Amino acid sequence: MTATEPRVGAVQAKSGPASPIGMRVRNLDWEAKTGGLADYVGDLQLPNMLHARLVRSVHAHANIRGVDTTAAEAVDGVIAIVTAADFDNARYTHHGGPLADRTVLAGTKVRYVGEEIAGVAAETAVAANQAAGLVTVDYELLEGAFDFDSARHPKASQIHEDKSGNVAMHIERHWGESGTGTKSVAASGVYTFARQTHACMEPNSVVANWNGDTGHLDVWISTQSPYLVRKELAGVLSLAPEQIDIHEIAVGGGFGSKSKISEFEAVACKLSMKSGRPVRLVLTREEEFGTTKARHNAQIELATEATAEGRILSRQAKVAIENGAYNHSGPSVMGYGTLVLGSFYRTDRVDIEADLIYTNKHPGGQFRGYGSPQVTFAIESQMDELAEALNIDPIEIRIRNANQAGDVSHTGWKIDSARLVECLEAARDAIDWDNKRKLKGSGRGVGLAAAIHVSGAFIYEDANRSASTIDVTADGTIIVRFGGADAGTWQKTLLAQFAATELNVAPEEVSVITMDTATTPRDLGAWSSRGTYMSGHAVAASGKAMRDRLLSLAADALGEHTSDLRLADHRVIGATGSRSFAELATQGGVDGVLTITKEVELDIEPLDPMTGLANFSGAYSFAVQAVEVDVDSDTGKVTVLDAISVHDSGVVVNPIGFESQVIGGMAMGLGAALGEELLYEQGRPINPSYLNYPLPRAADLPPIRPLSVQGEDPHGPYGAKAVGEIVLIPTAAAVANAVAHATGVRIRELPLTPDRVLGALRQDQAQSRSYGLAGRPSRWWIAGIRSLYPRGLQKVLHRYGTLFGRVHDAQPIEQILSPTSIEDASVALKGGAAPLAGGTDLLPARNQGLVEATTLVDLCTIPGLATVAVNDGALRIGASVRLTKLESGLNAEMFGGAVPAEARLIAMAATRIASPQVRSMATVAGNLCQQKRCWFYRNDFNCFKRGGTTCPCYAVDGDHRFYHAAVGAHRCQAVTPSDLATAFSTLDAMVIIARSTGQRQSVSMSSFYTGPGETALADGDIITAIEVQLPSLETTDGLHSLAGYQKLNLWEGDFAVVSAAVALRLDESKVIRHAAISVGALAPEPLRLASIEKALVGHRPDRVKLRSNLDALWSKIGHPLRNNEWKLDAATGVVLHAFDDAIASE
Amino acid sequence: MNVNGTPTSGPVEQPEKRLLDLLRDDLGLTGAKEGCGRGECGACTVLIDGVAVLSCITLAARVDGEVTTIEGLGEDADKLRAAFADHGAFQCGFCTPGQIVRCIALLAQGLPEDDHELRRQMSGNICRCTGYVGIMAALREADGREPQDVQQ
Repeated sequence: MTATEPRVGAVQAKSGPASPIGMRVRNLDWEAKTGGLADYVGDLQLPNMLHARLVRSVHAHANIRGVDTTAAEAVDGVIAIVTAADFDNARYTHHGGPLADRTVLAGTKVRYVGEEIAGVAAETAVAANQAAGLVTVDYELLEGAFDFDSARHPKASQIHEDKSGNVAMHIERHWGESGTGTKSVAASGVYTFARQTHACMEPNSVVANWNGDTGHLDVWISTQSPYLVRKELAGVLSLAPEQIDIHEIAVGGGFGSKSKISEFEAVACKLSMKSGRPVRLVLTREEEFGTTKARHNAQIELATEATAEGRILSRQAKVAIENGAYNHSGPSVMGYGTLVLGSFYRTDRVDIEADLIYTNKHPGGQFRGYGSPQVTFAIESQMDELAEALNIDPIEIRIRNANQAGDVSHTGWKIDSARLVECLEAARDAIDWDNKRKLKGSGRGVGLAAAIHVSGAFIYEDANRSASTIDVTADGTIIVRFGGADAGTWQKTLLAQFAATELNVAPEEVSVITMDTATTPRDLGAWSSRGTYMSGHAVAASGKAMRDRLLSLAADALGEHTSDLRLADHRVIGATGSRSFAELATQGGVDGVLTITKEVELDIEPLDPMTGLANFSGAYSFAVQAVEVDVDSDTGKVTVLDAISVHDSGVVVNPIGFESQVIGGMAMGLGAALGEELLYEQGRPINPSYLNYPLPRAADLPPIRPLSVQGEDPHGPYGAKAVGEIVLIPTAAAVANAVAHATGVRIRELPLTPDRVLGALRQDQAQSRSYGLAGRPSRWWIAGIRSLYPRGLQKVLHRYGTLFGRVHDAQPIEQILSPTSIEDASVALKGGAAPLAGGTDLLPARNQGLVEATTLVDLCTIPGLATVAVNDGALRIGASVRLTKLESGLNAEMFGGAVPAEARLIAMAATRIASPQVRSMATVAGNLCQQKRCWFYRNDFNCFKRGGTTCPCYAVDGDHRFYHAAVGAHRCQAVTPSDLATAFSTLDAMVIIARSTGQRQSVSMSSFYTGPGETALADGDIITAIEVQLPSLETTDGLHSLAGYQKLNLWEGDFAVVSAAVALRLDESKVIRHAAISVGALAPEPLRLASIEKALVGHRPDRVKLRSNLDALWSKIGHPLRNNEWKLDAATGVVLHAFDDAIASE
Repeated sequence: MNVNGTPTSGPVEQPEKRLLDLLRDDLGLTGAKEGCGRGECGACTVLIDGVAVLSCITLAARVDGEVTTIEGLGEDADKLRAAFADHGAFQCGFCTPGQIVRCIALLAQGLPEDDHELRRQMSGNICRCTGYVGIMAALREADGREPQDVQQ
């Protein structure tokens, strides 16, 4: 069986009676979505609508002694406030019984930073935010637990009264029995899977509109499962489900995050009920990252025994899953993980112990893959470890253990169709496995991993049912109505394709209504990959019934037998004549509409939560993913060069949708493998922004190739199986296996960030560097302070203020001045106004509480500051020049010949900054002057730089692996974020400043910074230009210039983790006569490597010597924090790469 | 300023008003989306004098020139939009207006030959659904070229 590679881009021409199943049908909403015309919740405007904001806990674990809303109520424009009292202790059902541990709002206790305590609705967003900040909560602090060890500690505070040891749930499973095979090899290891977040482009949003007269609630929610949400809302609002209607709206992504209810929906509804007005609540991006239900991070101890042929005898797993503060989906995520451990591959016996542990963090929830990515990472990493031990090809060992059609797994899964073996063979071809395996140990390698997943799961009441309605109207319109939602999954288009198949029309000729509880029959929604499977069966049923009805009506009308009639072109055609659908509807319908609703009930078993046994899904899909990677052994950076995803998902209903889902899903998997992780400091989110979350941007990925092995599933609708979640399940293991192949090093901890990879590569090498601190008295004070932090100093210094406690948005801007002279601008700045150029840092910084000024001075209205010119061998760049001009506008004509290396260095630095849009807006001076980007500083941690000398620096003990200094830091560990600063530092640029006294002054780059992102500018000073000498234009000294710029970061556009700008001048015999090297993001300010430069001069380029000089230098000047020593090694790598680039540019 | 060709005055009494709010709230042009409000995701991308910028960190009072939103792209974008549909370049659609507006600016400039550079030029628009292959293929097709991004 060969894989067919659906060709992306080729729309198969419709010729003849082609079935809609398998057709490349354009997404039904393509015109609206590509035209910006689709309405999402945030686009709705209802008359008299109020804006709502949640009040959230600033503490991770505390009793609530009281909530005072008096000050908040007094804010002008506030209309309603709700607290826990308004919900009367109602709990969400979620998984029911003792697992239902969550009320809508916290009443007596908070269990995580960001937990919802109250909701405010006001006339304007500004008023709502202001009022939310004025709600006072009287907390009694409790000790918090933030990881497995501290939560399980005997002295740990109990997070839920009835769960001692903070164990929310414990599962033990023993499946199968020891067989007769002889154990030949065993592998064991501990694998950890980090916490990611869905980061859907559309934040969670709701509009609720209560009509007090009719007692009816109309709600629009960005949701995957309207019926599930309605049921829960009815419960906590004390309404009958029929009193609530959820309406159709476009949904901007889900991935599980919107498949059950959260808290904001009920709060908005209650606010509407209290105020009698429509209420809109949209989460901010910080709330999305910091408070929504994340991927459950897991620690899995796995041991596998196998025969000499690689056949798995036994699998033993000890699993720990971090629940967060509440159950939500923790029990079922952990449960599903154990089922995958029991069912993936043929095994003789499986023994599992699993614990779900409460911690004081925002809870985990439903996330694509649902426990399987975590356990599959362990299983599939270990498969390769077994293969290595047995000297068996990793593909071969998987073939030998593959699930096969007809198998029934230990947990009762009846696997009717299985093409895992075909997927493995297809992957072998597609990634050129046999050739690429020869790369072993070279720094490049390939790896692969497989997965199994359900097509829907009977884990809730009625999850084995689905319904759909088909209408045919008197004007011939065909409508499918279905209760589940389309969050981007192509559900709507598939519904049209299914109906079109039954009625023999084109999919584009079918209208689709989803989600609307008033007009659609019930379906529990999109989760556990049930969409295609359930809706396919539901529409097959209603479609066939409609077909039968049309035939029967036509048979009567024509006086023929139904068996002699056929459907075509919206007509029923017989020997004696035909009738159009429209005519038949007019004749046979009720008020001219034929309507048929069918509910299907699948022949599957409800999951038994006590044993885990059940054939609880209609079909099981398989997938194999393979990647080729390059591992930079100097920096630890892993680059994915090629990626394929091969699927046994039965019949592919829509290849365009399939390819897009597969590519996007694997992209999400690569993000989790290589960088995505939510980070915390004592339970407080550190990185709640896209800026600090390395999900893949376009340039971070290769062109991922989606493939499908052909074949039907006997029970799948039209032969189809699911594909929605499996797309990211094997990815992390595939990457880890590729890295192991490329380097010989096995890493079992995710994500595979450069620090981890470099650390793993170096663990066999010589002991870590000594920094000779005893001989460096200038560092003793800092070393002393740092050592006291974990011993209690930080606790003493630490004071609370968080993202969720402060009134988030700054005071509105009152005035924007537009001076036309430097003097006028200077006067305004001296008066306390803030300088505004591109605005790309100023405006976000205002919202981060870092700039209080409400008067801004537009520096871009000052004429003459936006030009670039070459005069007297120097390049003069105006302060207001946009970064795009530097990126691509320094061209040959400007220099009267070739672009000099110095200018190319500036362009190289500029093009790596942020994004194209930011580069179009941001200015040179603005880039140089931007504030430090330390994520503690930027996210409301009341640190030394924000609160003064009695406040701690959170980076000393907090997560400082990437963006903090490893050289020369004092009380603050931040670095200067500007890339241009590094390049200008190498070029010995001069900053031309118009002092507030009226004087013009040139300040060298080396004196420009006084601290990380802190400049020598005094109040009222304005940068007018940067001046860079161009020795390249000097032609009489026989020298020529070379330059290179390198930047190590976590995603395309990210700030530097470490960067290097190298500029060299060589003579005709290639001897280096001048050298300048500046390293960015390693020290508080750009770091010129004077001793390295000196050692280069007078010699030909010698990178071996350069490497050893750099290594020696770090011993002399390095003073890393506990976990960022790796940055010194990475800096060596980055300097070498920039040096190599410079030499190669000759 | 002009918005999609229609003269529009800036927010005289509200210097803090963002261009994004002026477009969405005052003019009912809800195509541009607020994905982050911090200039990090690209969902709010619009054109000012043909240049792709982030309207969530642009103060409306400073805008002077031609603002073009997704709604105002007209027939020039038809080929690109059809290519988006044929190549699966969108799923949930929330980032799509920003993607398309950014694409139009890039097409007008001329697409880079190199595929990695093309991806870099699109890296200011995050998509969480599609993995970007469809977007790149749509761009090449709209430029009249065979999609190179896809390996056969």
